Amino acid sequence: MSSLKKFKPLYWRSLAELENTPEFREFVEREFATPLEQVPPNSPQRRRFLQIMGASLGLAGAGCRWHEDKLVPLTRRPDGMTPGVPKKYATSMEIDGQAVGLHVTSYDGRPIKVDGNPRHPDALGACSVLQQASVLGLYDPDRSDTVKRGGKASSWDEFSKFAKEHFGALRGKGGAGLHVLSERSSSPTLADLRTRFLQAFPQAKWTTYEPGHTSALRKGSELAFGKAYRTLYDFSRARVIVSLDADFVSHLFPRGLANARTFSRTRTPDREMSRFYAIESTYTHAGAHADHRLPLPPRQIKALAAYLDAAITPQAKALPELGAAQPSPDAAFLKDPKTKKFLDAMVKDLVGSVGRSLIVAGPEQPAEVHAIAHRLNALLGNVARTVLYVEDPMPDDAGEDLAAIKALVAGADSVDTLLILGGNPAYATPGDVPFGAALAKIKNSIHLSLYEDETSSSSSWHLPAAHYLESWGDSRGMDGVVSIQQPLIAPLHGGRSALELLDLLLGNDKPDGFELVKRTHQQTLPDERALRRAIHESMVIGTTGQRVMPKLQELPKVALSEAELGAKSNGYELIVALDPKVHDGRFTNNGWLQELPGMFSKLAWDNCVLVPMDVAKEQNLEDGVLVDLSVGGKTIRLPAVVAPGQAPGVLKVTLGYGRTHAGHVGGLKSAEIEPVGANAYLLVSSEDGYLRSGATIQKIGGGPRLAMVQDLYAIDPIGHEGTAERLHQIVREGTLEEYREKPEFAKERVHSPPLLSMWKPPTPYEGHKWGMAVDLGKCIGCNACVTACQAENNIPVTGREPVSMGREMFWLRIDRYYKGEPEDAEVSFQPMPCQQCENAPCEQVCPVGATMHSKEGLNDMVYNRCIGTRYCSNNCPYKVRHFNYFNYNLDVIGITPYTPTEDPKMKIKSMVFNPEVTVRSRGVMEKCTFCVQRIQNVKIKAKNEGRPIADQEIRTACQDTCPTEAIVFGDLNDPKSLVARLHKQPRAYELLGELNNRPRVQYLARIKNPNPELA
Amino acid sequence: MDAVRNDNPFAVAPRGDNPFAKITDNVSRIVEAERPPRAWYIAFGIALMLLTIFLSAITYLAWEGIGVWGNMIPVAWAFDIINFVFWIGIGHAGTLISAILFLLRQNWRTSINRFAEAMTIFAVICAAIFPGVHIGRPWLPYYMMPIPNQMEMWPQFRSPLEWDIFAVSTYATISILFWYMGMIPDFATFRDRSKTAIRRFLYGIVAMGWRGSSRQWHRYERAYLILAALATPLVLSVHSVVSFDFATAQLPGWHATIFPPYFVAGAIFGGFAMVVTLAVPARQLFGLKRIITIDHLELMNKILIATGLMVGYAYGMEFFVAWYSGSMYEGFTFINRAFGQYAWAYWTMIFCNVVTPQLHWFPKIRRNPWATWVIGVIINIGMWFERFVIIVTSLARDFLPSSWGYYVPTFVDYMMLGGSFGLFFTLFLLFCRYLPMVAMAEVKAFHPSVLSHGHGHGEHHGESHDAPVAAHAGH
Repeated sequence: MSSLKKFKPLYWRSLAELENTPEFREFVEREFATPLEQVPPNSPQRRRFLQIMGASLGLAGAGCRWHEDKLVPLTRRPDGMTPGVPKKYATSMEIDGQAVGLHVTSYDGRPIKVDGNPRHPDALGACSVLQQASVLGLYDPDRSDTVKRGGKASSWDEFSKFAKEHFGALRGKGGAGLHVLSERSSSPTLADLRTRFLQAFPQAKWTTYEPGHTSALRKGSELAFGKAYRTLYDFSRARVIVSLDADFVSHLFPRGLANARTFSRTRTPDREMSRFYAIESTYTHAGAHADHRLPLPPRQIKALAAYLDAAITPQAKALPELGAAQPSPDAAFLKDPKTKKFLDAMVKDLVGSVGRSLIVAGPEQPAEVHAIAHRLNALLGNVARTVLYVEDPMPDDAGEDLAAIKALVAGADSVDTLLILGGNPAYATPGDVPFGAALAKIKNSIHLSLYEDETSSSSSWHLPAAHYLESWGDSRGMDGVVSIQQPLIAPLHGGRSALELLDLLLGNDKPDGFELVKRTHQQTLPDERALRRAIHESMVIGTTGQRVMPKLQELPKVALSEAELGAKSNGYELIVALDPKVHDGRFTNNGWLQELPGMFSKLAWDNCVLVPMDVAKEQNLEDGVLVDLSVGGKTIRLPAVVAPGQAPGVLKVTLGYGRTHAGHVGGLKSAEIEPVGANAYLLVSSEDGYLRSGATIQKIGGGPRLAMVQDLYAIDPIGHEGTAERLHQIVREGTLEEYREKPEFAKERVHSPPLLSMWKPPTPYEGHKWGMAVDLGKCIGCNACVTACQAENNIPVTGREPVSMGREMFWLRIDRYYKGEPEDAEVSFQPMPCQQCENAPCEQVCPVGATMHSKEGLNDMVYNRCIGTRYCSNNCPYKVRHFNYFNYNLDVIGITPYTPTEDPKMKIKSMVFNPEVTVRSRGVMEKCTFCVQRIQNVKIKAKNEGRPIADQEIRTACQDTCPTEAIVFGDLNDPKSLVARLHKQPRAYELLGELNNRPRVQYLARIKNPNPELA
Repeated sequence: MDAVRNDNPFAVAPRGDNPFAKITDNVSRIVEAERPPRAWYIAFGIALMLLTIFLSAITYLAWEGIGVWGNMIPVAWAFDIINFVFWIGIGHAGTLISAILFLLRQNWRTSINRFAEAMTIFAVICAAIFPGVHIGRPWLPYYMMPIPNQMEMWPQFRSPLEWDIFAVSTYATISILFWYMGMIPDFATFRDRSKTAIRRFLYGIVAMGWRGSSRQWHRYERAYLILAALATPLVLSVHSVVSFDFATAQLPGWHATIFPPYFVAGAIFGGFAMVVTLAVPARQLFGLKRIITIDHLELMNKILIATGLMVGYAYGMEFFVAWYSGSMYEGFTFINRAFGQYAWAYWTMIFCNVVTPQLHWFPKIRRNPWATWVIGVIINIGMWFERFVIIVTSLARDFLPSSWGYYVPTFVDYMMLGGSFGLFFTLFLLFCRYLPMVAMAEVKAFHPSVLSHGHGHGEHHGESHDAPVAAHAGH
């Protein structure tokens, strides 16, 4: 600063500067008017500062690193690249060792949208909320950008130096004291590196730990066949489906997306319909479509499975080599007349559909249940028809993760160096496994992760990881097919993948993910052409597991405990499960996922304990009441939400919340941002796993207003009656019998006088006439469309407080309705986009013409004209319009277009925006546009090519990602288009059509196929 | 002149034994006093405080966005539009008294018409602020005006909000003209009584050269009559148009053909309640008991009974029509209104608007100024709740149960509500201090002395500017 003394500025900011007073010089030197150290830690000033600036300043003073490059124009345009034209690349994302093939849209070099790869057998073109939201995670400003050693900024060079010395020394010792902890991965390259690593360090140990993973699938197969096979289902051929606590359409279920596709195809009356019996403890996405549903505590399902075996074996004329059946268990609950009737009818149905039935067991169920399911499928002749088996591509994976992590912590004293490849074990380990404490004692711990999380903070080295969209890799699908993970962007924060880190530790100074992947596959992909093709499709042909017809072994009699036979025990059963949104906690800092409402609880920005009706009554609980949930001496405090249809005495809570080092969204202790939700890992036990008995609930009462997007179930009696009264008109459902008798039954649910209008029909709709059909019989309420819409249309995240007030911004929401007796409630989903009414009530009341009817029948929003009277929302009977009550994009776009943010981290955050959709500012209304940008792109393309637009060429974002094909978009003027044909279906109906709005979205009534014997 | 009185049994002239000079003295004294009473200072201080709160709330709102209110989806309109309709309603009594009662020869109106008109104008000012600041982008309200522009934008005239703009602005214009014109002779009186040059100059400017000549009186009377005739339909149209905001919408609870008359009756009800609320303290404070007499209060209270019964009828009829329509959604809305989550608001409204005015059947109560005042305040509260009930309960639970919500106002909402009273009272207190609170000229026209002495105005030749007797008597 000495130069300041002589410096006389030409332009000056203050007189002090001009005069260059000592005070000013001191001010400049101090940089901040009050040194941060002098601000008391709890003063609002400091808190505010940290909140606002926390993201932009590395908290340890590392500063930001906005990589700058000189721009050089491309003298020769790279082949196939046109600036401003989005391109799609195939890649894949791996969670819990399962690949989902993806197509990622890249706009001028930055990935902005993720969709399923139609050719990938586990995706079939669909993807889940986790994949959809992963692109937001890529640009998360909270991602780690610095190598840290002991909490202080370091660099990869320094780490390389350290690694060379340290691992060189370790190599000399044969790797004694070296321990590697990795997430579950099916990557052949990682397996290859692991082998090489263990060769280099023969005494090193390798532990795999994946939260929420159970070995039941594998052990069930071993029990049934003596060997682990992977089970694949083909629901499309099944006529009778039985689920034993299996949410087989959920994205958390192995191959759930593909199951959802094949399952949903059997749920329309146009083809032969399946009949689905769900026996489950909590409501599942699959269970929502059950024709008959039996809520049962999770432990009793084992007894029920044994009963099924006992009942079916004699009737199925089993071959003698299949062995004896289980003895019929003597359980009181099986003799309950209602249950008995249910099971008798179901058994009859199963036995009557040999070769066309399917029994699926859930991963939370013990191995015996899986073994019985395998046996029953074999008995009923389903193998090779609805059930397929392939060789397990990872035969060495024992899957006993809880035991493994417990052993690691128990033996932590002998660990000198712990290498943690991804994951966050300091947070995501059971309450009785003190991983954090053990980690702190380990001398050398190296943690590679996307965020500086709970584990990083007690590791000696933190290394920033590369996102899956930034790095090369590979992984396997459920059937073993290898997918290539192709990066779409260079690492934004200098991160490296686990593959590259391992290669570095093996002595390669310049690890290159691509070379590693290429080397792994040099056998299957020998030449450049094959490699290019595999990358292009993101799949390696010929790696699918071998189909097998495994031979059933005789199953010993399964032991049934008192609880499994239905004996009342003290306390409740507690299911601790992975969260469908934030998973095991890895997506806790993802705003899209946090804001997403839970499908049954409708709760955003929190986890809750789902309580069944009987517990709610017993403990006098309502939605949102704070409770202390205890099991095994550990207690967490969180709100309760009443869950109709949940088995009596069963509680459910999800993992992934209550994080202290997630980031500015999910909770960050250092910035005094409270964690979102409560940490349910405390309730997991390394002995008992994720299903606990003897849980208790203590009502605390009070609690903040929950961020629930749909009215609470326990609304006042009037609201309840009003809902019940109108529900049959809103969500129209009927049975197959009813449908056959009177196909137009759904249209006749509402009678209205002749509909007259004051206005002439707006336009004649020459040319196109866009419309949508939503099949309620297919929607499983997975939320993928909601997040896809958010990603496509730059929908802002508002936060907990606004959502609790009713200010969430989703253009597409999924309404969830319960029906019938609460204990045994039926559930229905109804996706609700803008209905694009022809006679739109919103258009008539806008004083400034900000919402107008297009020639093709869209209700266009003109943001620039909108002054925000909100009258349109008041007059919209579907309430699909959302208002920017604040400038929700203030941090990324600034107050006005002329004052953009200069904060580099926020600039990175803004890279996620789809440039084809306006980023809305404060004070304007917004709503679904039927993805008008996609319509225009295809129209332009077709016009350039001088051809008409083909049906299904334009697909909306929601349609694109829907695993069940429930949403169909197209041109109603084209009578051959899918949507036009669906609109002509007898079960198509207009929601609130009696208001004469003429909605362009028609719903297809849900048809159920109940067993006449159970009617 | 006597004939007029006898023809109309409701005609009540200002009583008391004031000669004309005393009337002038009584009214001018308030303006000419060196200091207003201490109570005025206290009231003005409170009003200014509330006004400051109002302005701060508006500033905060404009800076941060509408989100500082409790509005959300589905209740996208709440306190903002409630306050707007409330103030517009208040603004009705003024024109009704000035125009309709004038045309109906309700001569008793002369004692109260001036400040009822003032009240109207201030209420319309308060009302106009709300739609202006309630829009999401408050810097762009001119998009609603039909101003030719290079963006080729034009208002969408099918929107009732667009009709509002014209209805309210027309109403405001006519009301201001009417009010100002009526004050011209009184301004001239002030001018002539001025003791300082500044006063004389200022009142001289606003008196616009009034000399009190016959010709001027003649023109004045004609103009007054024409304005009254123009303003009369406005009394009905403004609130009818405001009610269209709701009636033309599809929302159950809004979509009702009864709304225009129901709103007009409600507005008159609320407006008169506000007039008594203001008149009682004003006559006490400024010694106008002899001009605004108990008889006046009683007459206004009778109007309150009549209009109160009308709104009561409308409340009942809404329920009947909801049931008779056979519409499930409509039926639910009303059951929910009375027994649902906002039942407390509904029953507050019923108590204030239907039950309370019935006390006025008792002469003892309706002739007691302070009972009148209390009931007036209660009715004002009730009328505010009426708009709350209509707007919030209908929006909170409409067609699809999935979008139902519960509206909770924020602190800023309350600041805006309370603050708007600050603006109103600040303006009103300034009016009391600086402008003729009672139409001196008009009151004299119907003074008993005039009525009993026929053309006796000649005796009071000294106050030539304020005796339009002939003109009035001529009708």
